[in-house]
Amino acid sequence: MTTLALTINGRAHGPREVRDDLTMNDFLREYLGMTGTKFGCGAAQCLSCAVIVDNPDGTSYTSPTCIVSAASFDGKAIRTVEGHAKNGELSALQKAFIDHFAFQCGYCTAGFLNEAQVLLERLAKKQVARAELEKTIAEALDGHLCRCTGYIKYHEAVRDVILADPKRYLV
Amino acid sequence: MQSDMRSWILVSVSALAMSLLSGYAASQTVSNTLASPESFSSIADTEVRSAAIFTELGKVLTHPRCVNCHPAGDRPRQTDERRLHQPPVERGPDGHGTETMRCSICHQNANFDPGRVPGHPEWHIAPREMAWEGKTLAEICAQIKDPARNGGRKAEDLIHHIGTDTLVGWAWHPGFGRSAAPGTQKEAGALVDAWVKTGAACPTR
Amino acid sequence: MQPSRREFVKWVTASGIALSLSRLGSAEEVGFAARETLPGRQNWNPAANGAGRIDGVAKVTGAKLYASDFRAADLPGWPATTSHAILVRAPDATRVYTGMDLARLTGALKPSVVVTAADLEKIGTRVPEYYTGDLLCPVGKTPLYMGQPVALLMFEQFDAFDQARLALRDGTFVKFGEATGPVAGPNYGAFRYTRVAGPTPEAPDVYSPVKNGWVSPGRFQNTERPIWARLPIPTGRAYVEAATHGEQIRAELAATNPALLMLDREFETQSVDPMFLEPESGLAWYDTGAKNLELVLGVQSPYENAEALAYMLANARGPFKPAHIKTLFAYMGGGFGGRDHTPFPFYVALAAIFLPGRPVRLAQDRYQQFQGGIKRHAFKMRTRIGVDRATGKISGFAADHVLDGGGLANFSANVASVGAIAAIGIYDIPKVDITTVALHSRGVTAGSMRGYGTLQTMTALETLIDEAAAALSLDPIEFRRRNALKTGGKTLTGSTYGVSVRTPEILDKLVNHPIWQQRTQEKTRGQPDGIVVGTGVACVTKPYGSGADCSQGTVEIDPQGRIAIHGDHVEMGTGLGTALANRVATHLGGVADEVTVHQVDTYGALALVTSGNSYTMNQATQDAVAKNPRWVPAISSATFASNGAHVGTQAAAEAARVIFRFGLWPAALELWGIAPTHPTARQWEAARWKDGQLVMPGLTPLALPALAAKAHARNFVTGAMAHAFSRWGWSRATFPVAGRTWTADIDALAVRRGGGKFARLDRTSVKFPPTDNNRLGNIYTANCATLVRVEIVRATGALRIAKAYSVFECGKALVPEVVLGQAQGGFAMGVGYALLETLPPYEGGPGNGQWNLGQYLVARGSDLPLHDLEIEVLPPVTPDEPPKGIAEVVMIPVVPALLNAIHDATGRRFQSLPVSQAMLKEALK
Repeated sequence: MTTLALTINGRAHGPREVRDDLTMNDFLREYLGMTGTKFGCGAAQCLSCAVIVDNPDGTSYTSPTCIVSAASFDGKAIRTVEGHAKNGELSALQKAFIDHFAFQCGYCTAGFLNEAQVLLERLAKKQVARAELEKTIAEALDGHLCRCTGYIKYHEAVRDVILADPKRYLV
Repeated sequence: MQSDMRSWILVSVSALAMSLLSGYAASQTVSNTLASPESFSSIADTEVRSAAIFTELGKVLTHPRCVNCHPAGDRPRQTDERRLHQPPVERGPDGHGTETMRCSICHQNANFDPGRVPGHPEWHIAPREMAWEGKTLAEICAQIKDPARNGGRKAEDLIHHIGTDTLVGWAWHPGFGRSAAPGTQKEAGALVDAWVKTGAACPTR
Repeated sequence: MQPSRREFVKWVTASGIALSLSRLGSAEEVGFAARETLPGRQNWNPAANGAGRIDGVAKVTGAKLYASDFRAADLPGWPATTSHAILVRAPDATRVYTGMDLARLTGALKPSVVVTAADLEKIGTRVPEYYTGDLLCPVGKTPLYMGQPVALLMFEQFDAFDQARLALRDGTFVKFGEATGPVAGPNYGAFRYTRVAGPTPEAPDVYSPVKNGWVSPGRFQNTERPIWARLPIPTGRAYVEAATHGEQIRAELAATNPALLMLDREFETQSVDPMFLEPESGLAWYDTGAKNLELVLGVQSPYENAEALAYMLANARGPFKPAHIKTLFAYMGGGFGGRDHTPFPFYVALAAIFLPGRPVRLAQDRYQQFQGGIKRHAFKMRTRIGVDRATGKISGFAADHVLDGGGLANFSANVASVGAIAAIGIYDIPKVDITTVALHSRGVTAGSMRGYGTLQTMTALETLIDEAAAALSLDPIEFRRRNALKTGGKTLTGSTYGVSVRTPEILDKLVNHPIWQQRTQEKTRGQPDGIVVGTGVACVTKPYGSGADCSQGTVEIDPQGRIAIHGDHVEMGTGLGTALANRVATHLGGVADEVTVHQVDTYGALALVTSGNSYTMNQATQDAVAKNPRWVPAISSATFASNGAHVGTQAAAEAARVIFRFGLWPAALELWGIAPTHPTARQWEAARWKDGQLVMPGLTPLALPALAAKAHARNFVTGAMAHAFSRWGWSRATFPVAGRTWTADIDALAVRRGGGKFARLDRTSVKFPPTDNNRLGNIYTANCATLVRVEIVRATGALRIAKAYSVFECGKALVPEVVLGQAQGGFAMGVGYALLETLPPYEGGPGNGQWNLGQYLVARGSDLPLHDLEIEVLPPVTPDEPPKGIAEVVMIPVVPALLNAIHDATGRRFQSLPVSQAMLKEALK
C-alpha cells in the first residue's frame, strides 16, 4: 500500500491509501469515476488512457495510465480531459476538434486532446518553423491510435489551431 | 499448508504444460541454466577453454533480454519473439528516447507487472557501438573487449558490469510474460571472471 | 423508478418477459437517457450551423457516454456499489475441459459467486438458434472453440476483482485432460450462384437465381465440405439445373481455347480483428424485488440483443427469470460489425442474474477482447476467369470460396453468400458460377465486419483483373471500362440495380487523375535511389442494405420551435445522430438539439406487431397478415450493411415531413392569411427553408419558432412517429391525417397534436415490397475506386504510400464532413488489412488470450499518407437522390490498389494478405 496524494485538474485528491498494484487508469476510472480517461488496450499501445503530467519546472508531458501504478503519481499534478474546458468554455483544441469533425466514435479523443495540448504548450515555449510543422505534429501524435478516422482531421485541427496564432507557436 | 503445496505443484506443473500453448514462453530447446567455469576445466588448452567459457556466456549475451536493447538500429525490440518495439520508439539523442517519447515515462524504476512493463531507473538502449543484434559471438566478443566500443572499460570492469550492474541484472528478473536470461547474474559474473582470467579469448565464430 | 414524462412503453415477448425501454430521467438526476440525448437543450449545438456533430461537445469533454463509462453509482435508482465479474475463457479447444483450479484465489481474492455450465443447466437458460453452442463449456467436454467461455467469477469489491484478474491472467488455472482433437461441426452454410445470360443484354437470362430461384438458400449439406458436382448429390431439381450450367461454364473455362485467355488463381485472406478502441463491456442489475433486470450495453443490434436476452431467460426457474428486462443502449467506441449480434450481452445478463440485488460490471480487457471478440472471416478462394482475347471482354468466371467461420455460426452463412454475390464486382459477365461454404473451426468466431465478405472477394477480383489486363496488354482502366456493368444491366443474381450505377464517371476520374497519368514517369524516377515505385488502381462496387432493413423514428417540435428526434439505429462513430438532425432539418428548417439514438422501443404508440421471417415469407402469407394495420414484416434491424444513412434516417425524415405538411404548413397558411381552399395551400412542396425561415415566392418569410408556436396554439400536428421497412424498396402506405390522406414510404404512423399524446393512425392501405424481392439479392450499390502510388525501399522492403486518391459516390451526403471522415478512416483500415494486420487462426492465435496491440498492428499516422490522400465525392445524380451507404465501400478498393501497386513496383503478384515488409524485402532480393 502507498499513500497517494495528487492534484487533478487543479484539485487536490487524497491522501489515501492505494494498492501498489492498482493502475492509475483504474484509480481514475473506478475510484474517482473519472471515465473521460479511457481504457483501450492496457499495454501502452493506443494511448486512449493518456493524461498530462505537469512538472514543477513548468514543462509537461503525457503519460499512459494503463501500465503505470497509481502510487507512482503521488505528489504529481495531472490534467485529464475533464479539465480542459474552463467555466464551460471549451479550449481552442476542443473547439477545433469539433469544427474539424476530427473524431468519429470519440473514444481516442481524450488522449489526442491531451497530447495536442502538451504540444501546443511546448511550441509556445520553443517555436518551430512553419516548414517543420506537419512533421512536428505527426511525431507528437503518432503514439495515439485511432481506428475510425485515419488521423487526417485530427492533424488538420491541431495544425489550424497553431496557424491561427502563428506568433505564439511558429518561428 | 499441505493443500497449498499440492495446488502450488498443480499450478506449476500445468504452467509448464500451458507454456507450450501460451505462445510467449522461451524456446523449449534452449537450456535455462549456465554452466560453471569449473565445468570447462577438462579443456586443457587455455585459449580454447577461454573461448568455450565465452561461448557459454554467449547464451546470456544473445538472449532476447539482452539483444532487444542492444539493437543494430535505433529502435529497440521486445518480447521473446524479438519483434520491433511497439509502440514505435526511437533512440533519441541520448538513447533514452525522443523528446516526446522518453523511455522513463512507461518504463519506471521497477517492473510493473500489472502492466506487464519492465522497468529500471536507467532504462535505455545501448549505444550504437554496443549493438549485438545480428552479430556472431566472435564479433560480439571482439567488440566487448574493445575499449573504443565498450564504453572505455577494462577487462575487470566487464566482470563488475555483467556481474553486478543492476540494469544488466534486470535480465534475470524481467517480469511477467518474459523469459529470464539463463542461469543467474552471479553465475554470469563468474563466467566473465573466468574468461578474463584465462586470457579473454574469443571464439572463432 | 421515478415516473417519467414520457410513456413507459412495454412489449411482451412470446416468452412472457416484458421488454421495455423507457425514456426516463427525472429533472433532478442526470439519468442515462439525459446523458445519451445530445447535445441537450442547455448546451451548445455544433450541428446547428453545420459546424460539428451533435455529440461533439460530449466527446471532447469526456462526458459519460459509452457503456464502459457507466458504474452503478451513475444510474439513478440503482444501488450505488458496483461488483465486477470475470468471464473465464478456455485457451484451448483440443482437449477436454476438466474444470478450474482457483486455489490461487485465497482470502479476499475468493470470488463471491462462481457460475459454470452446471449452474446454467440448473436454472434452465437456453440460447437462441442464431447463437447455438454452449454459453459456458461444461466440464467433461472439449471446448467448441478457442476462447469459449467456461465460467463467470463475481467479486463484490473492485480490489478483489483486480487482484484476482492479475492472479488469473496466465490462464493456467483452466484445466484440461484428454487430448481429443478439435470438435468437428457441420458447416454453417453452402451456396452456389450460377448465371447464364441470354444472347443479348436485353434478352432474359437463360438461368439465374432471380429467374430460377436461389439454390438451397439456408439449407446446409451436413458434411464438412459440400460436394458441388452435378451428381450424385443433388438437393432437388433446382440444384441439378444450377450445377449443370455451372459445370458447363467450368468446362468452357478449362478447355484449350487459343481465343480465350484463362487465368486460374488462388487468393487467401487472413483473420483480422475489428479492433474498435472500446473493448466490449456491460453493466447490469437484477432487482429481485421488482424482478426487474436492467442492463447498460453498447451494441449494433439493440433490438435483436434485447430479444435474445429475453429468450435466454424465458424458461429460467422462478427466481432466475426476470419479469421485466430493460436495456439501456449507449454510444459505442467503434463497431465495424464486431458489435453486431455479439454474444457478449448474454454474459452481462448472467452475471447479474447470479448476483441478484448487486449491480455488476463485466468488461473485457484487450487480451480478452482479442480472445472473444468477433473476427473477420479468412477466405480461401480459387478463381478462374476467361477473357476473349480479341475483344477483351470477360466471357466466363468461376470461383470456389471457403470461409473459416470459427467456433459459432454467427453471420457466417450470410457473409459467404454476400461475398460470393459481390465476387464479380463492377463487371458484366455473362457466365458465372460460384460456390461458397463457411466452415466451423476451433478458431474465434468470425462474423460481421466492414465489407462482409466482399472485401475479400473483390480484393481477389481486382488483382486478377489487373493481371488479365496485363496479359492482354490492355490498359487496366480501359479493360475495366469495356467490361463494366452498365445501368440497367443484370448482376450476378440476375437482378438490376435500383440505384445509380456510376462506374463510367468513376473510371473517367481515375484516367484523368495525375497519379494515373504520371505513373510511368514516377516509376522510372524512383529507381536511382534504391527505391522502386509502383502505381495501382482498383474499382469496386459494394452493395449496401440487407433486404430487411427497418427504421423507427419520432420527431417532435416544441412551441419554441426546438426539435427532438428519437431513432432506433445506433451511433458507433458514423455520425448517425447528426445525419438524423440534418435530414430532419431539410423538412423542418431547424437542427434538432435533442437527438436520442439507440431507441428501439419508444414507439409504443405504433403498437407494431410482426410475424414470420421476412426473408422467407411467401406473398400469400404477407398479403394476409398485411391486412392487420399494425403488422409490419419486421420491427427493428441492426445498424450494419452501411445502412445508417439511407435506413437509419428514413423514419425520422418521414415523420418530419408529416409534421411539416400537417403542422408547420397549416400554421404558415394561417400566418400568411391564406385560406385552406386557396390554390397556394396545396403548394407545400414548393416551400423552401432558408436560414431558419420558411420561404415561398411572393410571401413574407416565416421563422420556425413562430410556425411552431402557431402549430401548438392551433393544435396542429407537432409530433410524428413512423416505422419504415425496406426489402429492396420501401413499404408504402396511405394514412388518414387531419381529414386528408397522406401516402409515404412508411408503413406505420402516429401523430401528436399540440401538446397532446401520440395517437396511432391506422393505415388505410399498404404496399409492402413483394416477397419475391428476396430473390433479387442486393439492388442497392455504391461505387468507389482508389489510385495509389507506393515507394518501396529495396534493401529493407519498407513501403511508403506516396500518394493516394479515392473517389466515390453516395447520393446525397447528409453530413459531408462525416462522409469524408469515413473515407479517410476506410483508407486507413484498408492499409492495415493489406499490409499490417493478421491473426493466426488457432493455436498461437488470439484464442489463447495472450494477444494485444503491439503484436497486432493497426495503421498508425506514420503508416499513412496524411497529407497526400485526396478524397473526391461525386455530387448526387439529382439534388434529391436519396443517400447511399458507403461506410464499407470506402475501404475496399484500397486493398487491391495497394497490391496492384506493389506488383507494378516489384513485378510480384502476391496472392495472400497481408503483404508484410519482410515479404517485400524477399521479393526484391
